[in-house]
Amino acid sequence: MRNYQSILILKPDLDEAQVEQSIEKITSIISKFGGAILKLDNWGKKRLAYRVKKNKFGYYLNIYHTCEQGNVPALEREYQLYDLIIKYLVIRLEERDIERVMSKAAEAAEKAESEAKESVTAEKTEGAAKEGVVAEKTE
Amino acid sequence: MKNPTKKKRNLFTQKICRFCSDKIQFIDFLDIKLLKPLISERGKIVPSRISGNCARHQRQMTEAIKRARSIALLPFSEEH
Ligand SMILES: [Zn+2]
Repeated sequence: MRNYQSILILKPDLDEAQVEQSIEKITSIISKFGGAILKLDNWGKKRLAYRVKKNKFGYYLNIYHTCEQGNVPALEREYQLYDLIIKYLVIRLEERDIERVMSKAAEAAEKAESEAKESVTAEKTEGAAKEGVVAEKTE
Repeated sequence: MKNPTKKKRNLFTQKICRFCSDKIQFIDFLDIKLLKPLISERGKIVPSRISGNCARHQRQMTEAIKRARSIALLPFSEEH
């Protein structure tokens, strides 16, 4: 079992539901080859640096996953046959690469959490300030 | 006679590698903001003799740019 990173570009004219569906399909493809998804990033619609199959935009998906060693060519073939994927790239990751990715993700999540807490407290203080203003007006 | 238009470059002015000075250990090919200044307007990779990057980082960066190109994050050439 090795770690891999798949970057997939989906057709730009999909809506949210279709993107969700294709993510499910891709998950099933990966699990078919004995792999599991470790992390999935949906980057949304991005402008491509050059035209790919006449498309100027594309939906980017960045997936960190595991896969059975001999199955990668078959996985790539499956990506090729899936009509919503216009371009793909599969990269093998060393142990330290995946560790770095995961620690980075954990850090980002922690940061987001603390920021969320901060914003909540900020809102509270703001609300309190507003109440104070209202109270002053009524007086 | 020496060519007056050709200035002799001072061998002692050393350019600094931007990755070394930022203490970047690993160059991620998805980090387009980092790689964008290292390609020319035509999409070419800027040589280390101009950018001043050290050999190790230039090598890592070249690989990162090539990967980014293959997944349409950076251009191979100008868009026609
Ligand atoms: Zn360096």
